[in-house]
Amino acid sequence: MSPPPSSLVLLALLVVVAGGLGLDRGGGVRDIALDAQPPAAPPSVALPNRDGSFKFAVLGDFGTGERAQYQLAGQMAALHGRFKFDTVVTVGDNLYGGERPQDFKVKFELPYKPLLDAGVKFYASLGNHDAREQRYYKLFNMGGELYYTLTPSPDIRLFMLETTYPTPEQFTWLEKELKGSNHKWKIAFFHHAMYSSGGRHGSDLGLRKVLEPLFVNYNVSVVLTGHDHVYERVKPQKGITYFVVGSGGELRAGNLDRASGLTAKGFDADLAFLAAEISGDQLHFNAISRTGETVDSGVLSRRTPTP
Amino acid sequence: MGPLSAADAEALATMNDGLKAYIELHTTLERSLPPLSKDASPEQIDKNQRAFESLIRDARTTAKPGDIFTPQARPVIIRLLATVFGGPEGRQLKASIMDENPVNPVELKLAVNSRYPDTVPLTTIPPLVLQTLPKLTEDLEYRFIGDWLILLDTHAHVIADFIDNALPKYAG
Repeated sequence: MSPPPSSLVLLALLVVVAGGLGLDRGGGVRDIALDAQPPAAPPSVALPNRDGSFKFAVLGDFGTGERAQYQLAGQMAALHGRFKFDTVVTVGDNLYGGERPQDFKVKFELPYKPLLDAGVKFYASLGNHDAREQRYYKLFNMGGELYYTLTPSPDIRLFMLETTYPTPEQFTWLEKELKGSNHKWKIAFFHHAMYSSGGRHGSDLGLRKVLEPLFVNYNVSVVLTGHDHVYERVKPQKGITYFVVGSGGELRAGNLDRASGLTAKGFDADLAFLAAEISGDQLHFNAISRTGETVDSGVLSRRTPTP
Repeated sequence: MGPLSAADAEALATMNDGLKAYIELHTTLERSLPPLSKDASPEQIDKNQRAFESLIRDARTTAKPGDIFTPQARPVIIRLLATVFGGPEGRQLKASIMDENPVNPVELKLAVNSRYPDTVPLTTIPPLVLQTLPKLTEDLEYRFIGDWLILLDTHAHVIADFIDNALPKYAG
């Protein structure tokens, strides 16, 4: 099923609007400019796409307000026409540069308008470019909290963390929440990558030292992060699969260190987001680029508690 | 890091009065504003934040460096940071802090009571560094701009105090 023509017209208009604004993005880091080539084709759907499964998307480092962000957003909307995900989790750097009301509009509300209009809810985690007030923003659904959880189904719990200022209080809270969770699927989302082959930032070892024991001990299956402006699926580390999805609006082309030994699959040639579906004990995923190409796909099984 | 010596603990305790006074002011001024909803619009967030910033700045027109990071506490904090960054993880810690932080605080004309620059991303503060510095309440955070340690009022976006040249030149 293709998106209705009205949606495509709206998206085209949004892309034109974004491209013509010439926004001041302030502190955003941009190493390589993407060309203005329009998306080639809507993404294919290779997931099971089963009724009753939890379908979601993950997006990171996206809030530029530039044409390429809108083009990737267009791919997300096109996918939604055939794969009805109702949740998008962001892994931070939701708004680059200014955060005036018009920035929220141009860098978030307009590019994702088709999804927002369709009832898709965004749940944000914050990155180092994000002001803390974003936690009060209605469309980020953070409930005024810097870190929080979401239980989209009885078997699944999502943990959204804050990693630019990782206080001991947050770790205490996280351990309590993980320990008290009997959900089959525990998935963590935050900005700074514990494992990354990105040449710009790479793995955050300080964070890894603190968080990894919690994730291992309390049966977290998947961790999704951003910060490095690439897509990477990391080889399982102590049974946990890590993704870097910092490819939602900025791109550092060619920035993946292929010799890191960490990468199961990497993509640093264009923007990309992750679409995922949890059905029973399996998580299916597709990473989809700005041109609609599926650049990575696969199936993960959840971790089971050790007796 | 081992426990603080009695002299260092005493020096850091001289920050308590300044911190207490700041938080009391912050709380009083915040209560004078309409509470921000958890489902706020960008317009409401922006209006609330800038009103708060204005209130804080107006109430602290005479604030100056050292009001909170007292002259007694300042050398202790610099020494604590030097110890952490001189340790085995120092190089990685400093790289983490300096990531996206290649700015010159002097050129930015940072000052006590000025707005945190909108164009400067927030530095990451590694857990080990947070554990080393005196504990703050939620309304205040430590950040680095260049090698300056900033005491940031996160709601008002105002620099409450700073220590210049707080990061050691060399680490690890």
